[in-house]
Amino acid sequence: MRSRKLKTNAATEAARTQQANNAAPKCDRLRFALILGALGPGLLAAIAGTDAGGVATYSNGGSLFGFEMLWTCPVMCFFLIIAQETAARMGCVTGKGFAGLIREEFGVRLSFLAMGALLVSNSLETLSEFAGVASGMSLFGVPPFISVPIAGIAVWLLTLSGSYKRVEKILLTLACILVAYVIAGFLVQPDWGDAAYYTFVPHIEPTPTYLALLMANIGTTIAPWMIFFQQSNVVGKNAGPDSVPYQRIDTCVGAIVASAISWFILLATGATLFPAHVGEIQDAAQAAMALTPLAGNAASTLFGLGLVGASLLGACVLPGITSSAICEAFGWEEGPNHSFKEAPAYHIIISVVLVFSVIMVLNPMLNLFDIMMVAQVVNGVLLPILMIYMVKIASDKRVMGAHRNSKIWTGLTWFAIVAIICLTITLFVMQFLGLA
Amino acid sequence: MQYFSQMVGIPVYDSKGETLGRVKDLGIATGEVFPRITSLAFKGTGAEPFMISWRKYVDSFSDSAVSLKVPAEEIRFSFLQPEEVLVARDLLNRQIVDTHGLKVVRVNDLKLSQSGTNQLRLLGAEVGVRGILRSLSPHLENAVVKVAKLFGTDIPENIIAWSYMDLLDKQLKDVQLSISHRTLEQMHPADIADIIEQLDPRLRSEVFAQLDVAQAADAMAELNEDQAAEIVEDMDASQASRVLSEMNPDDAAELVNELDYEKAEALLRMMGVKEEQAIRQLLGYKEDTAGRIMTSEFLSLSPEKTVADAIAAVKDAEKDEREMTNYLYLVDEHKKLRGVLSLRTLLIKNDNEKLSSIMEKELISCNPDTDQEDVADAISKYNLLALPVVQEDGKLLGIVTVDDALDVLEEEHEEDLQLAGAPSTNDKDNGAGSHELRRLMTNQMWFFFWAAGALVMVLIGLGALASSGVPLGEVAALSNAGAIAGIAFLAGGWSGVLAMPIALLMSDSMINYTTNFFIEHDADDEDKPSMLSFIAHGVGSAFIYMLLMVLIVLGLLLFMANSGIFPIHVPVLFVGFLAAAVTVLISYFTSPLYLNVLYKRAERGKDTSRLTMRFISDLFSLVLFVGLTYLFCYLAFAIGLVA
Repeated sequence: MRSRKLKTNAATEAARTQQANNAAPKCDRLRFALILGALGPGLLAAIAGTDAGGVATYSNGGSLFGFEMLWTCPVMCFFLIIAQETAARMGCVTGKGFAGLIREEFGVRLSFLAMGALLVSNSLETLSEFAGVASGMSLFGVPPFISVPIAGIAVWLLTLSGSYKRVEKILLTLACILVAYVIAGFLVQPDWGDAAYYTFVPHIEPTPTYLALLMANIGTTIAPWMIFFQQSNVVGKNAGPDSVPYQRIDTCVGAIVASAISWFILLATGATLFPAHVGEIQDAAQAAMALTPLAGNAASTLFGLGLVGASLLGACVLPGITSSAICEAFGWEEGPNHSFKEAPAYHIIISVVLVFSVIMVLNPMLNLFDIMMVAQVVNGVLLPILMIYMVKIASDKRVMGAHRNSKIWTGLTWFAIVAIICLTITLFVMQFLGLA
Repeated sequence: MQYFSQMVGIPVYDSKGETLGRVKDLGIATGEVFPRITSLAFKGTGAEPFMISWRKYVDSFSDSAVSLKVPAEEIRFSFLQPEEVLVARDLLNRQIVDTHGLKVVRVNDLKLSQSGTNQLRLLGAEVGVRGILRSLSPHLENAVVKVAKLFGTDIPENIIAWSYMDLLDKQLKDVQLSISHRTLEQMHPADIADIIEQLDPRLRSEVFAQLDVAQAADAMAELNEDQAAEIVEDMDASQASRVLSEMNPDDAAELVNELDYEKAEALLRMMGVKEEQAIRQLLGYKEDTAGRIMTSEFLSLSPEKTVADAIAAVKDAEKDEREMTNYLYLVDEHKKLRGVLSLRTLLIKNDNEKLSSIMEKELISCNPDTDQEDVADAISKYNLLALPVVQEDGKLLGIVTVDDALDVLEEEHEEDLQLAGAPSTNDKDNGAGSHELRRLMTNQMWFFFWAAGALVMVLIGLGALASSGVPLGEVAALSNAGAIAGIAFLAGGWSGVLAMPIALLMSDSMINYTTNFFIEHDADDEDKPSMLSFIAHGVGSAFIYMLLMVLIVLGLLLFMANSGIFPIHVPVLFVGFLAAAVTVLISYFTSPLYLNVLYKRAERGKDTSRLTMRFISDLFSLVLFVGLTYLFCYLAFAIGLVA
């Protein structure tokens, strides 16, 4: 934690120096250091975003529809950049979190709505993270009603003691195991021409399953919590308006890395599970099959480790973000530095979210893989609501000053919002008409 | 009309009764304790709201409407005056500093008060839950308040008066300067530091930018070093070095020690030579020694001078704001310490007396290498306000003041408490990793015992299963086939894992009960309750806990038996909880042992660590629990409950 902090401070410091002697030729080295330093919030959010729900959604996409969903990756990457760039910029300019901005610009009622949406979405997302832990651990023969309560208590202790930052690196490393999909993608020797074709030419099947998956895909790639996470990280680093360009680079790199991983998951599962007619994935063991070309018999171990790492990372981050956002919006004390007496709301929200998730996951009536998917669909539905708040704030001159949205950027954001809403409505109509 | 939230949106009529628009915002005159509303902003059909003078145009107002004195045509619109603040735009929903309660809060609503028919004043900002509820809906607020009353609690309004608000917004800061009210600038540095600790990094720097250098330095000294270092790293270098120079060298040295090397070097080089030297010299001493916390700012004089000279010197020193001038140190030409004079002595002696004749020659002093704790002990033992620090050869280097000594004592006390297993009172401690781990270990030891115990039980279970020859993957499916003993052991183990925390936590609470009893009652206390009542009390409460638990478990079991949630036979699941119940009872029966040990050791003058006792009792409970679980497992199997 210390070293990260220093790096950022070096970055902001360097930004100031650079501004002071802009014409000096020695800038090149500085700029490089600066980019490296700024590579933080965006990349972290992107990697944390490739969580249990993400793996479930992409694996299902590949397994059910082969390469047909590959085209979503570039599109999602674009949407992700829109959402995250705006969030980072808002953080740089205002120095406030997204929740605080919503409250200041929209008042109590609309914040209540937004925070309600966030609470629902994040609770389900946390639930899906624990489902990820459960399915990952089940690959090692540990039943859910042992792994989940233990994970729950560990996450609770880590979040409330604020010491999760120390574990963050370990979890990030574990989560990076999912990069194995990239290698697996090469090893399965797919038809690259086909893959390229499906990547750039959209294919849409008008079936509820396909649309639901598409929805889930949006919900997991651009999860609402990632917006809050990104902005609060930027604010925590105290990046000023002059570091907007570097946050842009960071956001783009993060979005591209995340999309590349999802593209390879789709590719690997599309090339292995789809021809094997696995259909809808029922458990982690099936999903792990996609890694068989890479790891052989160790595929399930590799997949299990990656899934558990990614899920635990998400589970550690999510309750804290949710609780901080809600407390920020309503002006309650927040942060792990405060004791229960000083910040009761913060502690209660975190505990409730965790207890809810753990209990729900332990309910054997629910299919773990289904839970992960449902959470993403809910995310997809709630995303446009938050994005509308975002575009309104980001184009407000009084808040953003010179850094407010350009017309084009606002237009693109609205395009994304409308697209997502249309998709949602289509999905609901189809389900209502019983086409499922 | 009481609240701004209820006033927003009510219609505005002109004298002819025509609707002009709806209330949008109110402007207040900031220069008063309870500011008058001076302007009314309302939104008509256009996109932009209009602003008019409240005093000139408003005739009357009620809960449902505002009426103006003149017809629409005669209204002249006005502009926001420099000393005016718009309540909805600038206050509502914003973060403000409550300079009275010393907290950062968000404004949920604004409370207004009517005086006369058309005068309105701002009473203050509502920052409590009721403001949120009211903004959602006044009915909701009423309902919640009534329900709370039913339960006997009252939800009070939480109002902060205008004079206790400090706005954080930079643009509004200028407005504030015109008012005589308690802003950040007038607060005690320790209070400023408290507020700063609650702020976001950005606001933190902004607040610091508002303080003058001297205040910033004082506040910085009050912050904990980690946070101060963070802020210094965010400040621009020249500002930071100015603040550091202004701080007392000992505080500055502590802070510089927290910075990373390059930044520290850069800052030190930008400071004045004298200050830099002072800080570098302090940094040269080892951590936790007197040298590190001493200050070189003290008042010294030659013993040959007179009382009059000394008083003049004290007055001079007071002008440059030295850290502490409670004592006058008398040094010879080689700077060797010869004697000490308190201000009190100076005051009661005649002006022409020589200092050498009245000075205290029995000196209490320390070396720069003396441990800080010893220094603090000496200061508290001799009731000093400062202790001189001298070199081997008697040369006076500096003094350690009582405030620094207090910090040391506080820290040591904290550490001692942690050793004793008490929860840390310093939540903001971000010490090294090992420290964190130790804290976790001491506070949550049961958790580690649980982890270890769980591992053992699962392994035993899996071993039993393996030896019975049932493949692991088929446990769930296997309900009535062979190898029931193996399954029983595995399932019993799982239930043990679930129930174990109860046994461990209760064993911790038994130790707490025992030590608290020990602390409250001395061995030779007359009215000390008898050992029997001690046991009865402990075991009795444990028994009630157990009854409650059994009730809950039974409920759960019934529920599970009906819904068939777990693929394990119900009675075996009960085993762990039964074992936990028995373990807790036995563990409470052992409490007199611990109490006796405590008294015996106290007699011999030894301290007993709560941590060690907890460790022993947790270990005992764990072993007992595991043993009992498998015993019950076996019994359940033997009498055929598992079939």
